[in-house]
Amino acid sequence: MSIALETPNAAARPHRLAWLRDMVGRRSGAIGLAIVLAHVVLALVSPWIAPYDPVAQDVTSMLVAPGAEHWLGTDKLGRDVFTRTLLGGREALLITALASIIAMIWGGLLGMMLGLVGGRIDEWVMRVVDALLSIPWILTLLLFVTILGTGTVVLIFILGFSYGLTVIRIARAAALDIVTKDFVLAAQARGHDRWTIVNRELMPNVRDSLAVEAAMNWSWMLLGFSSLSFLGFGVAPPTPDWGLMISDSRGIMATAPWTVVAPMVALASLIIGINLAADALAKALGIDRSQKAPL
Amino acid sequence: MMMRHGLAMAAIAALMATTAAAETTLRRSGDLGFGGAENLDPISPTRFYEANDLIYNRLVSWGPDGLPAPELAKSWSASPDAMEWTLVLQDGVKFHDGSDFDATDVKYSLERIKDPALESPVTSVLNMIDRVEVVDPLTAKIVLSSAHADLPLLFLDYRVRMIPDGSGATIATTGIGTGPFKLETLDPEGTTVLLANDDYWQGRPKVDRVEIISIPDQEARIQALLGGQLDYSDLNGDQVATFEGNEDFVIQHYPSGDWQGLVMRTDTAPFTDARVRKALRMVVNRQEMADLVVGPGGGTPSCDHPVWAGDSYRSAIECGADIEGAKALLAEAGYADGIDIDVHTSDLEAGMVRMVEVYQQQAAPAGIRVNIVMAAPDGFWSDVWMVEPFVSTSWGQRPADQILNEAYRSGSSWNESYFADAEFDSLLDQARAELDLTKRTALYHAAQAALWERGGSLIPYHINGVRAVRAVVKGMPEAGEDYIAWHLVEKTGD
Repeated sequence: MSIALETPNAAARPHRLAWLRDMVGRRSGAIGLAIVLAHVVLALVSPWIAPYDPVAQDVTSMLVAPGAEHWLGTDKLGRDVFTRTLLGGREALLITALASIIAMIWGGLLGMMLGLVGGRIDEWVMRVVDALLSIPWILTLLLFVTILGTGTVVLIFILGFSYGLTVIRIARAAALDIVTKDFVLAAQARGHDRWTIVNRELMPNVRDSLAVEAAMNWSWMLLGFSSLSFLGFGVAPPTPDWGLMISDSRGIMATAPWTVVAPMVALASLIIGINLAADALAKALGIDRSQKAPL
Repeated sequence: MMMRHGLAMAAIAALMATTAAAETTLRRSGDLGFGGAENLDPISPTRFYEANDLIYNRLVSWGPDGLPAPELAKSWSASPDAMEWTLVLQDGVKFHDGSDFDATDVKYSLERIKDPALESPVTSVLNMIDRVEVVDPLTAKIVLSSAHADLPLLFLDYRVRMIPDGSGATIATTGIGTGPFKLETLDPEGTTVLLANDDYWQGRPKVDRVEIISIPDQEARIQALLGGQLDYSDLNGDQVATFEGNEDFVIQHYPSGDWQGLVMRTDTAPFTDARVRKALRMVVNRQEMADLVVGPGGGTPSCDHPVWAGDSYRSAIECGADIEGAKALLAEAGYADGIDIDVHTSDLEAGMVRMVEVYQQQAAPAGIRVNIVMAAPDGFWSDVWMVEPFVSTSWGQRPADQILNEAYRSGSSWNESYFADAEFDSLLDQARAELDLTKRTALYHAAQAALWERGGSLIPYHINGVRAVRAVVKGMPEAGEDYIAWHLVEKTGD
């Protein structure tokens, strides 16, 4: 007599990169990935292709309209808007990408562990998480920035911590679906410690949900980071940064719209690109995003 | 039928009368620079100057020639040695609570400024007043501890306002003055409402209400002005284009002694070294900085002297950007490889951050590496200014003697650079006591030269004021706020 046990990854994928093929095969996925890749490549190579020094001021060419010499015009200090827009995503991309990794690691591990441990600890921690999530995200960020100050490292940790809270929920919910499965029970019966169970049994099954969550989180984080810059708490001037550029020129939006439109389009296109890619990724991995908690 | 017709006519007449008498409200902004700690005590370190300007009167006001003109003091005269000044007061002036204004109120208001417990920034301005004697209800004699040949100039200070005798404990919330408007509700973080003082001694104001709406951000103030939520606002150079050609607004340009600058704490390293301070100041191309920050024509260059071009005591120092000179001074002070400094600034006022950005670029060739540190606009004056070692600053126009004493005399509470220089203090003392105008002028010039050599303030230019006023607002002169006769301002529409 044989006992049929559920096994992890029962429905094994035909190929490790099948999800990528599926994603690219979808129009939204292809467009989204192309946009994101373009931004990443531009961020990497922009210091070498930018036509002007991004911080060089020129009193003789302040607020020049777009033309042959300055494709996207100049700002109030005579700085080239095209150059600053090209370079304006570097800090945002770097900081939010690193912060996303931090959010995924601490949020994902804690969420899975809570799903596995359950009981009173799970209950208490989740109530604290719920309480923190009930505070509007911009207030949470401003609170941390006020206490800890700004700076690249601080911002990475602030964003990583704040956005990790939503990951806890997702990881915990995904883990709760799995902890009652036979292969997890069997691992527990074999006497594996919790870390091993999280690592070997839960992680492979929660990974897809976390991947989609990471992509979505990234776009929200970009918005959060740019909001901080807009409010004067992100990147310090004169570093080119989209949020800072929009903030700096918002008062002259009516008379010199090019100073605001270029960074707005750059930021919006990146966020749209990430969202399209995340959506296609979710579909490729067979995850119904409508079932996920709002970020 | 006739009776019904008559009633209808009466109702229409009443409605028309109501419409004709519709309340007019002038809306202006407050900048929330003290983070909500603003109060109505005119000499408080966190005075609510946007409201106080309308609630209280001064003894003298700015005349069109830049000299003192009568306000609550009808006339004044000095003893030959300038140790005693006699003021003759206006008759028939009443406070908002109905009490008469007289010489006892002058005595109380001026002597209160000396109270050390109040930590008033005005103390250093009027510290030469020994006592005030009440000669009769309409005559006050001011006895000085040291001669001052220009005493009435000091009464032009926007904080030297007359309050009722004995009202010090409550004035911060009651706001009882003799001014054209009286307090209805005080809400420094929201909207403060003032109502017209029907018994104002210079005639009833032409608007019924004034609302002071707190908007800390300059760009937000401009949007509020465009949206009709404010009736006027100051502009910076590049905001002028937004209003040009818009018939709903009138743009006013006026000379002023206001300035924005950067200030170092001379009691904090590395700014304790006068060579470092001078090097950090001498790298600036002042005309270029003015053009970049406030727009062409928006500023009159200054060589770190706080005395503005319209003041007869301004010295004629010349200064151009001297990168090599700055490098040499830094090397002499032990910074041959350059120096790293943090400059704390905020988006509190238009141009503040931009000035630091320009400074960063202009200072870089001399090896001065500026790191810009952003601070929140609300509470900037309480938490950053006079706290951090190198910060943005902003001052309103003041007469020479006042600004030199208030901002640079040792121990003055708004000595933002913590400048302590016995020789400088002595020059100010001598100038005040000097009755010969030529000699007095020379002493003030020497004091300004000392600031250029050893001071901690970078004052690149004085701002030429620009203001956008809604076309429905009349009676606002093309001059700084200190010159506005608020009871003459009116609104012809809403």
